[in-house]
Amino acid sequence: MRGVECQSGKMAALRAGLLTRALTKGKTPRISEIVLGTRAASGTTKDMLPGPYPKTPEERAAAAKKYNMTLEDYKPFPDDGQGHGDYPMLPDRSQHERDPWYQWDHPDLRRNWGEPIHYDFDMYIRNRVDTSPSPVDWRTMRNSLLGFLGFMALMFGLGEMFPSYQPVAPKQYPYNNLYLERGGDPEKQPEPVNHYEI
Amino acid sequence: MADYKEAPLATRPKTLDPAEYFNLSPEYRRSEEARAALRSQLKRQYLLQLNNPHRQELIDDPALTRWIHARGKNVYPNFRPTAKTSLIGGLFGVLPLFVLYFVFKTDRDKREAKIKAGTYERPYKVSS
Repeated sequence: MRGVECQSGKMAALRAGLLTRALTKGKTPRISEIVLGTRAASGTTKDMLPGPYPKTPEERAAAAKKYNMTLEDYKPFPDDGQGHGDYPMLPDRSQHERDPWYQWDHPDLRRNWGEPIHYDFDMYIRNRVDTSPSPVDWRTMRNSLLGFLGFMALMFGLGEMFPSYQPVAPKQYPYNNLYLERGGDPEKQPEPVNHYEI
Repeated sequence: MADYKEAPLATRPKTLDPAEYFNLSPEYRRSEEARAALRSQLKRQYLLQLNNPHRQELIDDPALTRWIHARGKNVYPNFRPTAKTSLIGGLFGVLPLFVLYFVFKTDRDKREAKIKAGTYERPYKVSS
């Protein structure tokens, strides 16, 4: 239960820390050192943050308490070295599936304050991936889509291999292939050009 | 709809879920009550802060802080080179460098040989 006073206490401690560090030590301290070095005892302490994989039952109980979950709900990610630590593995359900009519603390995210956040929460928000039930089951939808795309690809491929167009020929011009218009000598008799055969 | 099959991105609708009709054991009820107790505690904390007339600053969400810490700063300390992680690292970090080098090199060498032999067909016109 973090009170309201701790926030102003943190800011005052931060300012005091900055001033003393700047005045007493010669080297200008980096902001990260000041922030971590001087702060009030309230606020986010290190034991409230995620840590390594819980190995003993006491660590598991402490982790479940930290994440505001019951002990049987708390399931950490398997310890395969991929960097999850003790973060809980929540069911892969998108925010689309949550009750739209309940008074959530954050209505657009359909989430309450303090509720443990899914590891891929930003993927499961209501603008993105949706895991809610589909009107037809997924395999039918996938097969229909792939069937349609495959059929269109097949037909386009066949059309490339066996093209079928209207027959065309080069354009045929009259008056002996436009002899005079092309700058032919009007005195000379042009050779006759026949575009037909009998 | 009795043949509705679930999938990773399509969950079962609540009306077709058999667990909704059959779960009446005391253990289930006790665990539901424990969860409800936790939820109501969090709700109480949040509403106390929200409706406090003397509050001037934002309400911090420790769950959000933990999430950010877990995704940002807690990954490297808990990383361990195992067979799986080394395979993923090699497959996505090291292999594309070599594969793309060879693909581009062979493609360009073929095109260069064609240009030198004079058989290369320019796909686009430089001047019309």
